[in-house]
Parts: sequence; structure tokens; C-alpha cells
Amino acid sequence: MKKPLLLTAAIAMASSAATAETLRIPHELGYGGSESIDPISPQRFYEAIQNVYSRLVRQGEDGRPSADLALEWSATPDAKEWTFKLRPGVTFHNGNAFTAEDVAFSLMRTQSETIDSPTKGVMEVIDHVEVVDELTAKVVLKQTHADFPLLVMDYRIKMLDAETCNGDLDALCESGIGTGPFQLVDYDPLGTTTLKRFGNYYGGTVGTENMELIAIADQDARVAALQAGQIDFIYALSAEQVPLFEGNPNFTVQSVPTGRWVGLVMNTQTEPFNDPRVRKAIRMSADRDALGKLVYGKDGYITSCDHPVWSGDQYRTEIDCARDIEGAKALLAEAGYAEGLTVELFVSDISEGAVKMAEVLQNQAKDAGIKIELVPAPSDGYWGDVWMKEAFFATGWSQRPADQILNEAYRSTAAWNETAWNSGDFDAKLDAARAELDFDKRKALYGELQKELWETGGSFIPVHLNTVRAFSSKLSGIEAVEDFSIRYEDVVKAGSGS
Amino acid sequence: MLKLLATIASKPSGALGLGLTLFHLALAVLAPWIAPFDPTAQNADAILLAPNATHLMGTDTLGRDVFSRVVHGGRLAIAVTFTAAVIATLWGGFAGIFFGTVGGRVDEYSMRIVDAFLSMPWLLFLLLIISIGGAGPLTIIPNLGFFYGVAVLRVVRGAAMQVSARDFVTAAKARGEALWPILTREMFPNLSDILLVEGAMRWSWMLLAFSSLSFLGFGATPPTPDWGLMVAQERGLLSTAPWGVFWPCVALSSLIIGINLLADAVGKALGLDRATAVAV
Repeated sequence: MKKPLLLTAAIAMASSAATAETLRIPHELGYGGSESIDPISPQRFYEAIQNVYSRLVRQGEDGRPSADLALEWSATPDAKEWTFKLRPGVTFHNGNAFTAEDVAFSLMRTQSETIDSPTKGVMEVIDHVEVVDELTAKVVLKQTHADFPLLVMDYRIKMLDAETCNGDLDALCESGIGTGPFQLVDYDPLGTTTLKRFGNYYGGTVGTENMELIAIADQDARVAALQAGQIDFIYALSAEQVPLFEGNPNFTVQSVPTGRWVGLVMNTQTEPFNDPRVRKAIRMSADRDALGKLVYGKDGYITSCDHPVWSGDQYRTEIDCARDIEGAKALLAEAGYAEGLTVELFVSDISEGAVKMAEVLQNQAKDAGIKIELVPAPSDGYWGDVWMKEAFFATGWSQRPADQILNEAYRSTAAWNETAWNSGDFDAKLDAARAELDFDKRKALYGELQKELWETGGSFIPVHLNTVRAFSSKLSGIEAVEDFSIRYEDVVKAGSGS
Repeated sequence: MLKLLATIASKPSGALGLGLTLFHLALAVLAPWIAPFDPTAQNADAILLAPNATHLMGTDTLGRDVFSRVVHGGRLAIAVTFTAAVIATLWGGFAGIFFGTVGGRVDEYSMRIVDAFLSMPWLLFLLLIISIGGAGPLTIIPNLGFFYGVAVLRVVRGAAMQVSARDFVTAAKARGEALWPILTREMFPNLSDILLVEGAMRWSWMLLAFSSLSFLGFGATPPTPDWGLMVAQERGLLSTAPWGVFWPCVALSSLIIGINLLADAVGKALGLDRATAVAV
């Protein structure tokens, strides 16, 4: 009997040690398994790319760009040429040196027509990239952009190895070779994707030996997995899920104000939403504060007026968007719906609170004579099958700076222009804001754009979210920053060898 | 009928089954007068309240009164599944009587098709149909009626084969009676008890199926108060606010148990023993 017992104990100890060395993060399976490891792919596997690749600059504690692969940057007085000095001694996971050639390759491929990256609309501002020397890259813009470093702070603008990607600007590069803290071992977006610590990481020793990205599509299942100790971390807890972890010594709960938002989208080219009066009537029927409280809890949100610029952004403009049922009814009557309007809204549990938000709006809008019929859609593959396919549907966005989110979601040529917003005047104002070197004037221009979205846009963005995350108390080193700024390389798991 | 009810009520299990079923039917009919609140009314100041004097079963994540939602929660499910049970019993019963009476190759070949349908994972098949045709009663009722009717067909056909071998059917055939009079005058009256029991059984199973569909997001749609949907929406709160899941489960279970006990009691009162019946 002794042998089997000893063997069992040894296996158990080995398994326990392996678990302690492994950081287990859930992956939301938003693209139903067709996720790509290429950071600019429309189906980017962001939990993986966040750890495999690095950016030129990343968000600092004050929300401004701070050094990452670029140590310093400067611009010409007209802000049309930006020079980035790169960190020396950085290598990719395959041993190749990181140079300015890789910067030029990684930035220029974002404009590829073939890849059709969601970053294309934003990054088209780049004319070309000059390799000044091995560690200096000069980005020449087509037009002035006073906040260009904010654009390369995007979580998808990662630096790839030009050689591994064969220098092909028009092909997806799915080698998984980056300069990030973890390197790819096993790629399985439908199951468990395995990463391991990169020994030559320029940022120093990485806190944990391995990372597992475990596909769990359902938020309740993710919560159950964290409670059962099958994963170590969970993003985006809903208000009612917070009490499951709060006060429990086995878990840490973090609440962070962010620019994340969950919203509803009306396609501005499709009936009846092609009439701006209908869109505004739906927006005016909402009591945003009550909605926020019902869906995200009293401390879980900050109200917004259907533009995506969050309260912490320097360009945010405050608008009065109080509920106005009579005004909504009047607009509907003008639009030819005096007897009421019935619309279908496609929803799924794709982002926290999306279904509840739809239910609350459904309840509030009926006072204005708007009947919203909810059509449940499976969360598996939602982004491919429903999002931007139906006329009225749910969406969710992570935090982005004002210029970026306005360009990425509302520029007429943007890949993720989900409202099919097609306004030449809006595009011209976006260009004008970028070209404006005076901060106050620039802020005024961004303010006009936000007001225009409230008046005539196709988005319903009632609140911006405070993100609430929970993780095992064994983890340390997770700063209270938005999700894409978490430095997983600094995370240490108690019991690990590091 | 009164005699049958009296026989059913004479046994404790029968009385319980009859009582639970009638209680739920009454609740469904009288829900608008019984529920103290509008079951869809949201209240931002009353989110997840524990059961109290105002909200007897507490409130849910949108501040809605759980008692009012539970009281209303069976209306759609009962309406949809009862209609589907009638359809299943009618078409399955008639087809079962027909094939059991006709026999021969027609029966043999038809039963292979029936076997094929019975081997299908019907819930997945139903999900496929709903994802194409859309959720809602108009899609769900005929499909539930069809799938459960296949099982009714199988059971009734077995019983019909036994009846068709009896002397009075043989005599009717010898008299030269046409098929239709034999089916309606000789066979049906002798199988109506089985049809009644089968219909009740399938109804209870359909209730479970409809609630499963609602749980998966393919049955009732928000904000309809529906037991399956309520469980789906509140299932993440079992450890902090269990009342949102507990009461719909109690309501659904008690109705299903009630119908099953009633079906058992009806069977026994009519001289049928479900324990020895063919399980399908």
C-alpha cells in the first residue's frame, strides 16, 4: 500500500508546485475559437497579445504615454514628424534584436488593405516611417497630430519581428514572436493557451514561470472557476457578483474607474435608425442614472451622454442628457411614429451588463411609446455573427483616448465603424482636431464632436464603467489600473519559486 | 368525470397531484389579481432585497418583486406546453392508433422512421430549429408538439396492436367495416385512457423542456416573467441572493411533480399501470 500512497503524494505535490508556478487567466472566447495571435487582426486574442508582445509606449500612472520599447520621443514644431529613441539590448523571443526596422514594419502594416485591421482608420495618419539608425525611428505623418504618442499606446499597436513575419506588410503574422514578458508555448484558443516566462525580457525577471489562458465563454462559469480555484483572476465583475468575493480573505477585489463602456448600437444607414430623430428619441427616453444603478450598482459607473470619451480623459465634454419622455415622443411623431415604434434589439452576455442594460432600456423606452423586443443571441461567436450585422445590437469597448476612440468608432472609413456613421463633416473635424496645436482649441473641437454624437449619432452609451476585478489573494503585483495596463510580468503568485 | 376525480383524490398521492396542478392553473389564471406588483417593474432602490413583509420572496437584480414574477412565471410555460401537449397527443395518438391497427409493412417502415427520430438529441435539434426560425411560441409549440408526439406515437402504437388483436376489432374487420370507423369507433374509445395519461406525462416533460429552453435563452424573452428565464438571470447569485433562483425552482418542480402524480393517479384510476408501461 505504501508505494501507491507515496506515488499519489508525489504527484499531488508536483501538481501543486506546477499550479503555484502558473498564472491562470480566463479567456472570453469572443471570436468562438477563431482568435488570431496577430495583434492587429480583427479577431485579436488580446489576453495573449498583451503578454507576448510589447508596445513602443504604454500608459503611465497619470494616463499619459510612458516609456516601454521607446525610451524617449520628440516631435518637430508642427507635430508632423515624431522621433522615437528605442531601448537598446532588446531581443525577440527567437533571439533576433529589436531595431528601428521592426518599428517601421510594425507601424506600416497597420495600414494594410488586405489585413483590414481595426487600427487602420486610426493609423492611416502615418505617411511613412524612416529608419534613422538601428535604435532611432522617425514617423512622418500625413498631417499634424499633436497627440500621436497616444495612438501608439493602443493595446494592439505591438512591435513584431519583421524577419519572422517575412517583412510582408499585407499578411497576418501569427508566429507569436514578440518581445513581451511571456513567450508562446502552445496556442489553443478553444482550450488552454500556454505561455512561459521569457528569460531575456528587457523589463527584468518575470514574476511567474508560466501563464495559462483558459477559454471560458460564460461570465458565470468564470466566476465559478475562480471560486473553485481553477483560475486565479477574473475581469469585469458585475455589481451582483462583487459580494461573492468581497470580504473573503481568499480573494482581492479591485475597483478602478475606466473608459470602458458597454452600449447599444443603431445602424445609422438602416431603417428606422437612418432617421436621426428616431435615434435621439431612443436616447432621450433613457434615465441614465437609474440605468447605471440598476445594471452596475451605485458605485459602478459614471453617466455619459452617448459619446465614448470618458470622464478621466482631458478632452471630455459634459453634456446635459436628462431623460425627456415628452421630447422623445415629439421626435418620434415628427419622424412618422406618432403611434409608437417597435424595434428588435439583439443582445448577448458579451460584456458585463449588456443584457440587463437592454432590459432596463426596454422598460424605460416604453414610456415614450418605443417597444423594444429583445432577441437573445449566443455569446459564442457574437462578434462575428451579430455585431455590425444587425440593425440594433449590443457592443462593448475598452478604454481608449478621445482621439483614438472617435477615429476608430466613428470615422467613416474605420473598420469598426459600428454605427455606419458616414459624415464627411465629422471626419473633417477629426482631422482639424488632430492638426490643432493649441490645446484649448483642440479640446473645443473634440467637444463639438461629442455633442454631435449626442445629437445625431447612432450609439447609446449611458455610462462609463468602473471595472471591478477579483483575483486570488495568492497574487501580488496587480496595480489598480485599467485592464490593458496591467503588468502581468510584475505579478507574483505566492508559493511560486520566484 | 366526477367519479374519476373522486377516485384520484381518494389516494394521498393523487390528491396531492390534483391539488398541485389545480393550484398552479389557478395561480396562472389569477396572477394579475394575486401579484402585489407589476412583474416587470424595475426599482433601482430595491435591488436584491431579501424576503421581507413587502417583498415576500425578495427582489431580483433589477429590483423586481420575485413573488409577483413567480406568480406570473408559469403563465407562458403552461400555455405553450399545454397547447403543445394537446398537439402531441392528438397527432401522436392518431398515428399510433393507425399504425397499430394497420400493421404490416406500412407499420414496419414507419416505425424505423420513428426510431430514427427517437434517437435524435431532440434538445439540440430544437435549438437548431429555433436558431433558424427564431424563438417564440409560434416556433416552439409546433416543434415541441412534433417531437413529443413521436414518443406518444410509439407508446400508443404498442397499445393499439394489443387492442387490434382483440375479438371485437376482428369482428368489425370481418363485417367489412372500413378503416376509419374501426379507428374511431373500436380503437379510439379503448385507447383514450392511455392517451390521457400519455398527454399528461408529456405535458410535464414539455414544461421541463420549455424551462430548459428559456434557461438557455431560446424560450421566453426578457422581460417576460418565466421560471426558466428567472433561474438563468439570477443563477450567478446562488450564494448571495438565492431567493431569485430558489422560488422559481420550487414553482417549476411542484408543478411538474403535481402533473406526474396526477398522471399516475389517472392511470391507476383507469386501470393502467405506468410502472409496467413501455418507457420511451
